[in-house]
Amino acid sequence: MNTNYLPSDYLPIVVQLLAALGFIVGSMLVSHNIGPKRHSKKKDDPFECGIPTEGDARTPISVKYFLVAILFVLFDVEIIFLYPWAVNFLDWMKESREMAIAIFVEMILFMGLLLVGFYYIIRKGVLNWNQ
Amino acid sequence: MLSIISLSLFGILNLFLGFLKSRRVLLPATLLFIALAFAANLLDWNHQYVYFRDMLRTNNLFINFSSIILLTTFLTVAISRSFGTDEEHTHPAEYYAIMLFSVVGALMMVGFENLIMLFIGLEILSVSLYVLTGSDKRSLRSNEAALKYFLMGSFATGIFLFGIALVYGATGSFNLSAIGSYVSGGPTTGISPLLYVGLLFILAGMLFKVSAAPFHFWTPDVYDGAPTLFTAFMSTVVKTAGFAALYRLLTVSFTGVYGLWWQVLTGVTVLTLLVGNITAVYQSSVKRMLAYSSVSHAGYLLIAVAAKTPQSPSAILFYSLAYSIATITGFAVLILVAEQKPIEGRPDERYEAFNGLAKRNPLLAFSLAVSMVSLAGIPLTAGFWGKFFVFSTAVDRGMTNMGMVLVVAVLMSVVGVYYYFRVIIASYLKTGDSEPIGIRPLYRFILVLTTALTIGLGLFPDVVRQLF
Repeated sequence: MNTNYLPSDYLPIVVQLLAALGFIVGSMLVSHNIGPKRHSKKKDDPFECGIPTEGDARTPISVKYFLVAILFVLFDVEIIFLYPWAVNFLDWMKESREMAIAIFVEMILFMGLLLVGFYYIIRKGVLNWNQ
Repeated sequence: MLSIISLSLFGILNLFLGFLKSRRVLLPATLLFIALAFAANLLDWNHQYVYFRDMLRTNNLFINFSSIILLTTFLTVAISRSFGTDEEHTHPAEYYAIMLFSVVGALMMVGFENLIMLFIGLEILSVSLYVLTGSDKRSLRSNEAALKYFLMGSFATGIFLFGIALVYGATGSFNLSAIGSYVSGGPTTGISPLLYVGLLFILAGMLFKVSAAPFHFWTPDVYDGAPTLFTAFMSTVVKTAGFAALYRLLTVSFTGVYGLWWQVLTGVTVLTLLVGNITAVYQSSVKRMLAYSSVSHAGYLLIAVAAKTPQSPSAILFYSLAYSIATITGFAVLILVAEQKPIEGRPDERYEAFNGLAKRNPLLAFSLAVSMVSLAGIPLTAGFWGKFFVFSTAVDRGMTNMGMVLVVAVLMSVVGVYYYFRVIIASYLKTGDSEPIGIRPLYRFILVLTTALTIGLGLFPDVVRQLF
């Protein structure tokens, strides 16, 4: 593999960047300039059909939704660690049995800590929707 | 190492202690955990270990720094009582657990051998502090402080991480000594300019965390908005860990480019001393004054880092110890005095709240006076020797290099006397309420202990000096 890259070798990236930017800026300019502009009160409303808008979009939402969402992301991301670990595990096993066992124990520890956290969440009543 | 592991486990244990019916057990349990971690930490004395393929290194310097951190945490936890009046919305078990976890981060910052470890330690410490800053959920100011701290802190972390990436790009390693040998060994093609930019970015990130000017703007608002107990925790533990990390990073990895970072650091030092001390004079709230005072003390500590003599680590250690003890005493007295007569539901933290304190409770007034005298650096207190050792490192480096910094530092110490003595004058010479203030036995014990330590270290600095 060629490891010596000159700055000019990165030119395609710059071209790509310029093309992407150019498309966005160009299409925005064109659509703003070509289209007709007719202002009226009804036209400038966020919704111009259907029932009249009422109230504020920023209504308070129960914090439980956020908690569940954050917990989902947290455990989801931690589970992702298992994939590279599982893919590489057989290679480690071939290389040295002791190291593979040590790595296995490390993953057990990691999962154990995760489970402790899960138990804490359940005891704390975060997943209890009726509370 | 044992201390890091044990603190992590104790933190988890603390979370589950929160499920007990009684909250009484939490405080003694946390104190016991910290004491156990302190003992476990001392086991490695005079041994040098390297863990996880050069990720962490423990030696005597690590033990010294982590002992100071654990001692300050112990004192801070000991002066904690109820967290606000609203029992239902406070979670003491979680606060204690988060404090323990943040100490884990601080210990990682002290013992890192790899930039990744430094980053993880810094993040564990910072993220815990963002939460603790906002722990007073019903207070707008606490929320504001937490949001400010989080936004600015994550930005600083980004710059810091960018610096690490650039240094990696230049040297091809995260390892401290590998970077060090690249920098001082001098590769045939010369040192890559990426390294200089990376070093400056790393410096910016670290200086933000220890609140040195011009990266100090978050400090007064965050320290003011956070619950006073956690302000005491932030202004001591973060500073000790931050300076341990900064010194280690700069001396092990970047000794070869001393000429570069020395200039940056002296500039920052002078600016920090000027901004911290002069702004502190104009504060009307004692809590904000202590926040600016912590900025100014970052400046004094930076002198020892910039001087980089063999005496520097012990000077930093002694200074952090003296500063931490005095600061915790100051905040402990502030907590008690401020809550006597709340204004609009908020503790009264103005200077006037201290009027006539000597009559209301002589012990409080005396320990406050000793801590302020120590922070000002008057002889017979630990703070004097801290300043003395720091200044002597600068003298060792040579007057041509550090002369300007020394002049500014001495002048600013004089300015410091002015605002520290305002509190003492208020409590001894002015008249105010005469209603006595009661203290619980543990609180009294901690105040007596810190005051005795401050005076004891001022009389016999060599006792600790020999260990360092």
